[in-house]
Amino acid sequence: MQLTNRSKLVVKKEMNFWERMYLPAILGGVMITIRHLFRRKSTVKYPEKTREISSIWRGQHVLKRDDKGAERCTACGLCAVACPAEAITMTAAERKKGEENLYREEKYASTYEINMLRCIFCGLCEEACPKEAIFLTDRIVTTDYSRTGFVYGKDKLVEKVDDRIDVTKRQTLAVQEFKQQKQLSHNK
Amino acid sequence: MATIIIDCKTYEVPLGKNVLETCLNLGFDVPYFCWHPGLGSVGACRQCAVKVFKDADDKKGRLVMSCMEPVVHNQHLAVHDADTIDFRKQVIEWLMTNHPHDCAVCDEGGSCHLQDMTVMTGHHERRFTFNKRTYKNQDLGPFLNHEMNRCIQCYRCVRFYKDYAGGKDLDAYASKNNVYFGRAEDGVLENEFSGNLAEICPTGVFTDKTLKEHYTRKWDLTMSPSICQHCSVGCNTIAGERYGALRMIHNRFHEKINGYFLCDRGRFGYEFVNAENRIKQPSINGDVVERTELETRLEKIMKSAKVIGIGSPRASLQSNFALKTLVGEDNFYHGVSDHEHDLAELAVRILKDGPVRTPSTKEIEKSDAIFVLGEDLTNTAPIVALAVRQAVRQDLSGEPEKIHIQGWQDAARKNLQQQRKMPLYSATIHETKLDDICTSANYATPEDIARLGFAVAHCVDHNSPAPEHFPEALQVRARSIANGLLAAKNPTIISGAGCASSAVMKAAANVAIALHKNGIVVGLTYTMLECNSMGLTMIGGHRLSAAFNAVINGHADTLILLENDLFRHGSFAEVGDFLARCKNVIVLDHTKSDSTDRASVVIPAGTFAESDGIIVNNEGRAQRFFQVYESTESIQESWRWIINIGKTLQHPKLQTWQNFEDISKAMASEEPMLQNIDEVNPAVDFRIVGQRIPREPHRFSGRTSMHAHIQVSEQKPPTDDDSPLSYTMEGTRIQPPSAMIPFYWSPGWNSVQSVAKYQHEVGGSLKDGDSGIRLLEANAASSLVYFQGIPEAFVPLEHHLWIVPTYHIFGSEEMSAKSASIQKRIPTPYLLISAVDANIYHLKEQDIIKVSIANISYSFPIKINRNIPVGMAALPYGLCDAPINALPEWGIVETSPLTELHDYVRKTKVQH
Repeated sequence: MQLTNRSKLVVKKEMNFWERMYLPAILGGVMITIRHLFRRKSTVKYPEKTREISSIWRGQHVLKRDDKGAERCTACGLCAVACPAEAITMTAAERKKGEENLYREEKYASTYEINMLRCIFCGLCEEACPKEAIFLTDRIVTTDYSRTGFVYGKDKLVEKVDDRIDVTKRQTLAVQEFKQQKQLSHNK
Repeated sequence: MATIIIDCKTYEVPLGKNVLETCLNLGFDVPYFCWHPGLGSVGACRQCAVKVFKDADDKKGRLVMSCMEPVVHNQHLAVHDADTIDFRKQVIEWLMTNHPHDCAVCDEGGSCHLQDMTVMTGHHERRFTFNKRTYKNQDLGPFLNHEMNRCIQCYRCVRFYKDYAGGKDLDAYASKNNVYFGRAEDGVLENEFSGNLAEICPTGVFTDKTLKEHYTRKWDLTMSPSICQHCSVGCNTIAGERYGALRMIHNRFHEKINGYFLCDRGRFGYEFVNAENRIKQPSINGDVVERTELETRLEKIMKSAKVIGIGSPRASLQSNFALKTLVGEDNFYHGVSDHEHDLAELAVRILKDGPVRTPSTKEIEKSDAIFVLGEDLTNTAPIVALAVRQAVRQDLSGEPEKIHIQGWQDAARKNLQQQRKMPLYSATIHETKLDDICTSANYATPEDIARLGFAVAHCVDHNSPAPEHFPEALQVRARSIANGLLAAKNPTIISGAGCASSAVMKAAANVAIALHKNGIVVGLTYTMLECNSMGLTMIGGHRLSAAFNAVINGHADTLILLENDLFRHGSFAEVGDFLARCKNVIVLDHTKSDSTDRASVVIPAGTFAESDGIIVNNEGRAQRFFQVYESTESIQESWRWIINIGKTLQHPKLQTWQNFEDISKAMASEEPMLQNIDEVNPAVDFRIVGQRIPREPHRFSGRTSMHAHIQVSEQKPPTDDDSPLSYTMEGTRIQPPSAMIPFYWSPGWNSVQSVAKYQHEVGGSLKDGDSGIRLLEANAASSLVYFQGIPEAFVPLEHHLWIVPTYHIFGSEEMSAKSASIQKRIPTPYLLISAVDANIYHLKEQDIIKVSIANISYSFPIKINRNIPVGMAALPYGLCDAPINALPEWGIVETSPLTELHDYVRKTKVQH
């Protein structure tokens, strides 16, 4: 049954002598390669050189600390519930007396894991977070030899006290203005 | 019926309800806080405002609180009117001015009525810029966490705690913006139903402290419909799991049994499932072994042995029946003391062959006179005690109707009712928590309680036997009780195995039969000691002493013990000797006990959370509990282990069984008393539009990461061969049958209040009706005659104490006593004696008394009680090593008495 009129009859064409020599075709191929040598490169020599990325690029997550160095995450679970890849899981724990400098509020995540193999870097966790605790950063998730290495725990996610990660760029102007308000000083 | 017009649409609705209930029944989402179907209306929160119009021409209308407005014919209402919407939004904005907005750290978050209502009203921006008032929180004991800042002053907590549950130590303090709900000072909330505050509180003021220990959001739990295993009432619960541990127990509404409430033992007793002393691996002679090794060993033992099986009142029907089938009917014994065996059989016989029906808890709640014989209900069957309290709180005088006050008008009814209450007569061995509402409370020994019961029965119907030499003073009391019961339309008689006295149970039966002969619709309730005592009795089996004899006489040498600590059911020496005589003791249990310590082979059984099973409550209602989660490979249901053993032995019946349903079907065909047990819930292949019922809410999170530490690639979820439920979030969202509702949720209703969407009408029965099958129905053509054999009046013996068991809600039940939070509430062991006896033996409170019971000497600190009869002592059941199963028993006091005082007291007593 013929469905359309666009069919084209294919005929097995006999190659002539020149074609059977393959030389013009090889030269043609080499020409393309040579031409590319003078074009702009489409790859970069990573990791010596990194590509230019957007200021709000969504890369590896960070769990932020507040100004005093206490963890912001309260293990409310909203990031996990927002995650379309179901890649976040955590266990909540109660802050004990004397741990006020470690955790900002009375609850914290005793474990917090992201399965980076599942994560699709959509940023919904960041959007859902009511505590400005989780952000996606401009860092790239490094490679690993085993799959288990891609389950990121708190050791990899929480920012170091002495090596803070700047996420101000990921906050819109409106957010930053909102945070200037005095009565919301706790949100700093 | 009435015709009402809501938002210009006409509806036919029943009269006698308030507008809020009616709107909710019709599917309108009217926000509310202070109203609760179990508590009625007080109009405290002002949240449920709607507009009422005078008539069709009235365009302006007036705002009313819908919970306080009765439905009348031709009523014009507006729910979604601009003014009402605005008003409700404003109210919640005010309520939220002082709310800390700490949902992220609040345990209630995600199942919070306040969250739902805030979203529903559309309030989303805080305009109040001033400081919030803050409170100091209290330490309320091991069960509840207190966070007063979250309070919105709806008064539900005190209304439930004080009015409904009879608590004394929670109250509202201060006024205006500073109202405080708490205790006068820090301390344990004393009421046995305090845990319900976590559910009744619309926000996170009272939250479950045990959940806090291993907190998980409601949406992250894998939940199953379950049945409470901690007493014989069989309350319906929802059990939730995450990361392989049971996290919480919630109430599951059952109109006929527990309604909206659970007792603290049921709510917090679950922690034994996660306890350290769980048996997780099979072991032989104390060494952990692989499954294959266990199987070869079992095969070897079983092939050459004469095996007997001992069942358990706390194991499911399936497990008991599987064991009975494995060892054969002749070799199956009930794992309860002979005394308990007799009491349970007596209860089943009276309820099955007798003319009197056993009522459900709901029916007890509606009865208009109650007579409790020998049972300390708050400690043996707490939810029945709560029902008794509701029955007494009823106002059936007709006064409210005369001035048109309806049932739901809580405050008005209470004002009108004042001290008027329904009659409750009780006869117990000492005071109980129900005494504050008793018309008359009598304290006597079990024998005298029975005599009083027989005397009451005789007063009701002179054909029933009367006790001889019955004192005139007591006769007057008996007559007044009889008159009270005769004046009632549907009285209930409550007794049980708590007194360990068959005479008391028979007396209760006589009273009920006598009332029945007078044409009164009477109910008779017996509470049992364990969750499946009734079920075990219905399965049939021999006495425990016969098992002892079988081994002693060499008829058997190998014992399979099912989920039972025999030392709770026989004396230490006797059971120890019995276990030592058995060549092989194979114990299937989930928790370590003295019996597992003496076993040669220990097999890890699943708890209720890791098993499927059916248990029968004291009403004779068979109900199924569903497995919450698949445990490790080694732990599985007892019945599955027994099937496995049967398969290796090529047992003709057992090897044909595959799953839960096969056992249930076999049981239905073989056990005469359990004929429709396979109809307790829909079959395994039951599907709703081709789909299973999901155990996980649709918001369940972390599927691809929670097991990533074990294996990065996502594993196939376990499949459930025993029920129509699935272990995942995939499946239908249509309402499942009542027996199989794993959790309550409805769009916009994330809190427990969403149960309203599962009911025919708010507060009424579930859409699919009540779950469970009643196995015991009264026999109208009964040939049961009055019980004879009235015991002699109790006479104290010199140097002796008549020791009877007494119960504690926390500690007397075996499994809940292993829960960490409950353990904090278990009292230290004691012996309760009267002040007179304390004087005789010259003892003060907390002094040590030495008593010899069945030739073994025990020492207890004493507690002095005003009301306990002289010559009698009460020993708390399950709290100490003493032979609880042998009670009641005479104890010989080894502490020397003061002879002169002794004589003096006796003489003065005789003169009286």
